[in-house]
Amino acid sequence: MGTLNLESVSFRYPGRGETVLDKVSLAIPAGGIFGLLGPNGAGKTTLISILAGQLRGATGSISAGDEPLEGLRRRRPHSLGLVPQEYAFYPMLTCAENLRFFGAVQDLAGARLRERVAAAARFARIESALSRRAGRLSGGLKRRLNLAIGLLVEPEILLLDEPTAGVDPQARAFLLESIRSLAGAGRTILYTSHYMEEVEAICDRVAIIDHGRVLVSGALSEVTRDGSGLQELFMQLTHRSLRD
Amino acid sequence: MRRLLALWEKEWLALSRDVLGLAVLFLMPAAFIVVMSLALSDVFKGGAARLTGFAVMAADPKLAERLVRSLSGEGFRAAPAPADEAAARDGVRRGTPSLVLLVPRDFERALNAPLDGKSTPPKLTLLADPALPPTQLLAFRQRVLGVALALRVSAMMRRAGIAADADAFDLKHAATLNVETIGGAGRPSSVQQNTPAWLIFGMFFVVMPISSLFIVERREGTLARLVSLRVPFSMLLLGKVGPYFVVNLAQGALMLLAGRTLVPWFGGETLALPARWDLLAAVTACTSVAAIGWGLFVAVCSRTLEQATVIGGVGNILAAALGGIMVPRFVMPETMQKLSEVSPMAWALDGFHAVILRQGGAADIAAPCVKLLALALALFAAALWVHHRRRVLAPAQ
Repeated sequence: MGTLNLESVSFRYPGRGETVLDKVSLAIPAGGIFGLLGPNGAGKTTLISILAGQLRGATGSISAGDEPLEGLRRRRPHSLGLVPQEYAFYPMLTCAENLRFFGAVQDLAGARLRERVAAAARFARIESALSRRAGRLSGGLKRRLNLAIGLLVEPEILLLDEPTAGVDPQARAFLLESIRSLAGAGRTILYTSHYMEEVEAICDRVAIIDHGRVLVSGALSEVTRDGSGLQELFMQLTHRSLRD
Repeated sequence: MRRLLALWEKEWLALSRDVLGLAVLFLMPAAFIVVMSLALSDVFKGGAARLTGFAVMAADPKLAERLVRSLSGEGFRAAPAPADEAAARDGVRRGTPSLVLLVPRDFERALNAPLDGKSTPPKLTLLADPALPPTQLLAFRQRVLGVALALRVSAMMRRAGIAADADAFDLKHAATLNVETIGGAGRPSSVQQNTPAWLIFGMFFVVMPISSLFIVERREGTLARLVSLRVPFSMLLLGKVGPYFVVNLAQGALMLLAGRTLVPWFGGETLALPARWDLLAAVTACTSVAAIGWGLFVAVCSRTLEQATVIGGVGNILAAALGGIMVPRFVMPETMQKLSEVSPMAWALDGFHAVILRQGGAADIAAPCVKLLALALALFAAALWVHHRRRVLAPAQ
């Protein structure tokens, strides 16, 4: 799978006047981690939702390598994985039951399902919590379970929407290390976060968007070439006024 | 199919861990069946089980005794005669006794007056408790007139020189009348009405767990995640059908058991079982899919748990009130009976009555079953349409 290309992608929610995404063009190469930054309401989650196939009606084109993303997903339904910012699993089910369920709806079965559940649990280090109800886990364990579910089918494109929100420093360090280890092997990772230091630590390319427009995009070393840090660049581009 | 089974298993696990929700689904209708069957047992017997006290005030003790003898029995019990009319009025006002027949002094003389159209017929006065059911008042009134007719005919016979006793003309001795109802009992007994009625009510209450889990799935992003995994929305809805269908069938079995065991244990009647179990299963299945369709529709339309609770709960209560669940339709005025035909719970109740009460055949349950299935399909389609119209989530291909 090659680069994930977005060309002039625009979107507005039906019945609402404002444009949420305005001609967004990005090139997200395989084999690295692409950081997508922006203040609240900038359009990050909308963009991820469009890529994940949750929202329809976007204009422009999105392709993965040489073929449209939609075509790739039709051909290989589980080529794309999403780790949403919500704890998108069932709190009343155990971790193992959640993993088995999300594996089964992605057509995993039998020994392959067992193998992938074990591998995802091992990767996220949640083996000891497999028999515990997901709703009773700590915030860090919930984030790790959320990540493990997204990795069950080893997707080639992985969309991570604020995967470290609300966890303690130890859990964050573990998650960042895990995500970094996922890069390579031709996998494309799109990572959104509000934490600049995280993005600086694990991403090789970044884009900052605000009001649905791309303000800057490129290699991390390029966009911070003038010596200012990512935080300063972000504040400079998106201004310091509070967002509602 | 594997994905559908996974969805069913997930739904089943989630439901099985909601102990309170399950308790509501099973204990609530069982409690209603027992309480309502016992509370309404007299109403369904048309007052026959209730013994209504009456007294006769007549100057002639022989006449009074004859009247008491003729009027007693079949739900009416003689009480001591009050001292005077004022005491009689006071007693009836308090309901003890419920009825007092005042016989004037010249009653027997008036009986002997010729039937030439000029003379005034003998006058009787009946004091009645206003709380007495109208059917009982009517029954007693007819009985009094019957006895008066017997006395008058016997007087005529005597005048004609034929020896005759009034007892010979008493309606009780006129003939033996066997009442035969066709196809089981004509009207349901209390337990026959209340068991299917509250079972249906309980079945439609699956709207609560269906909608609450669905809203949690939407709120927590699980639904969006499943859509991103290309699980079609229609399959997500179908994923809720299987487990709740099983729950509804279990409700059916347990509520019949409650009608057979719990109600008689508390002193009520025993539920008569149907002759055709296959038809009972068909009616239960059709009611179940209609109830699940309603649950899915409410789940998709509601944006919050509060909305789902109000729409689902109030909708169920209105449908129950209108559909003859809370108040039997045969006691409703004609307009309300016609209006009740729009309630799906009334269709379901018709189906259950056709099987349990009238011991009917497939043709008797066809109309209610078709209506319930059509409603289920319409609600399922409406849920998909509402989802599509909101255009929040993309349909998986």
